[in-house]
Amino acid sequence: MKENMLVMNKKNFLGTVCVAVVLTAVVTACGDGTTRSRGWEFSRNMYDPIAYNPDQPNDNFKNKQTAQLPPSGTNPIGFERFEYANTMEDYERAGAELQNPLAVTKENLAEGEHLFLVNCAVCHGKEGKGDGSITKDRSVTDSRGTRQLENFPPPPSYARSTGANSSRGGAMADLSAGKIYHTIYYGLNTMGSHASQLNPEERWKVVMYVQELQKK
Amino acid sequence: MRNISSVLGRLAKSISVSLVLLFAVTLTSHAQDVKEGAALFKANCTACHKIDKKLTGPALAGMSERHSEEWLITWIRNSKAMVDAGDPTAVALFDEYNKLLMPAFTQFSDDQIKNIIAYVKDEEAKLAQAAAAPAGGAAGGGASSDANTFMLVGMAALLLLAIGVIVVLNRVTRTLEKVIANNQAAIEAAQARNEEHEGGDKVKFAQKFLKNKKLVGFTALLLVALLAVLGWQGMWNIGVHQGYKPVQPIKFSHQIHAGVNQIECQYCHGGAFKSKNASIPSANVCMNCHNTITAADHYNGETSPEILKLYRAVDFDPDTRTYGDNPRPIEWVRIHNLPDFAYFNHSQHVVVAGVECQTCHGPIETMEEVYQYSPLTMKWCVDCHKETEVNADNKYYDQLIEAHEKLKKGEKMTAAMIGGLECGKCHY
Repeated sequence: MKENMLVMNKKNFLGTVCVAVVLTAVVTACGDGTTRSRGWEFSRNMYDPIAYNPDQPNDNFKNKQTAQLPPSGTNPIGFERFEYANTMEDYERAGAELQNPLAVTKENLAEGEHLFLVNCAVCHGKEGKGDGSITKDRSVTDSRGTRQLENFPPPPSYARSTGANSSRGGAMADLSAGKIYHTIYYGLNTMGSHASQLNPEERWKVVMYVQELQKK
Repeated sequence: MRNISSVLGRLAKSISVSLVLLFAVTLTSHAQDVKEGAALFKANCTACHKIDKKLTGPALAGMSERHSEEWLITWIRNSKAMVDAGDPTAVALFDEYNKLLMPAFTQFSDDQIKNIIAYVKDEEAKLAQAAAAPAGGAAGGGASSDANTFMLVGMAALLLLAIGVIVVLNRVTRTLEKVIANNQAAIEAAQARNEEHEGGDKVKFAQKFLKNKKLVGFTALLLVALLAVLGWQGMWNIGVHQGYKPVQPIKFSHQIHAGVNQIECQYCHGGAFKSKNASIPSANVCMNCHNTITAADHYNGETSPEILKLYRAVDFDPDTRTYGDNPRPIEWVRIHNLPDFAYFNHSQHVVVAGVECQTCHGPIETMEEVYQYSPLTMKWCVDCHKETEVNADNKYYDQLIEAHEKLKKGEKMTAAMIGGLECGKCHY
């Protein structure tokens, strides 16, 4: 009898432990693994930089930003100024005067293609036919449900075969290197300026690739 | 009353609209082909025009009322000639839209242009009907002013009710105070009895609980296990921000932009390919698309409140499409905080090693809200560095091998020859 009782107790004890462990596992496994908090930190001062990060607030400046605009009229070392204004006259002038300073090589074209796919193809399409991914019908399903996303107005095609016209006159396929460069620098109509995303050399590489697309 | 009037209004509106639509369709269908017009419109006009909204060019709704058909045909075929000839309407339009010329469409026949005009009219009628259908338009306006008076009356009624309640409650308290003063002794006795009773209950419960040794053991075990697990996790995650998902000032969805729209990571985070930091894009990059995209379809024709935050940040006026001179930066919350004592360079990993963004940042293109996917601990870095094979197709290693060959041959090599004069070696 006594031995039986002990066995029973042992079983009960093991059962209790099991239930406790399972409950703990379930409770601590709750949540999707993301949190709004950064949790505990040890010696925070070893983590923070002594110098300011560019994106940090900064009380030393009037506008409280660390990233300041350079004084007007200054040029960083190696900076090339684009001496054409955003007017129709200077657009035509750039088109007539500017030549692509880079030689048409396999490497330059490959770089131009990569830059075009990254920076231009979303609207202009991979072949420059004005059929980029954001000009097409598409929908998203997220926490707000399923909905249609707005289409970006498609730009005209570069390809000679489509015969589309530029809004500044002439066929898209006839745009000169300088005109394309001017448009990348200032943007046009619904296209914004891409001067902050591409440096002069990259712009000329893109121009080179666009001129290849014009032949299609 | 309100309901009946709004229903009547809606009915009248939809009847009139469908009459207009019927009229427009019968008027145009026998001569013009709306379908061909639609195809031509989509191929040639949508880059600058929308039916209901000003884009680079004016909104086209109502253009047939504003101009005669002959005028429109001449304008569409060659607007520059019209401006040059000094047509007053043409010159006014040219000046209003920043002296931007509409390209000439000399390849269109009269019939083709008429088809386009017919298509615009058709779309116009559809839009008017859509506006009338969901209780919008005039009926909606009436209802909202009615709602305002209803609200005002309701507020006044609530105020009166509140005053009434206060007066009544005041009287009740006074009466109760009197009752208490009259029955002081009886109340004290009752309170004493009550306390005794309650106290007994609690004690009894505690006694019963303590007697059940199994229950006590179970509870204690559960508490210890929970504390141990939480403590273990907490201690291991000190300074580790894996899963950190802060609230951002703008509800920007990477799922929409990187996933559905298929915008390359580099378009916005170009810094990752050129420098140490994967830069946060400046707001002008957002404006490349959002000067046009307002998500108005989902906000009853108004710009989305999240996109309005962007307009406020760059001081953009969507009506005139111009920028002011009072920009205010968007204060994004940084998610990935590498300690200052660890150096990490994005371009080294992305360009030289060719590591995909997703390898460290996880399925960004499916994240509606971004969180830190990787632990960013030293062990995590070291594990990857132990497994990753070096991409030997790199001129850097040619130099290295060349240097070793020289050493083997017994040639003299100075520190300067292997980069010892680079500024950063001492002044970092």
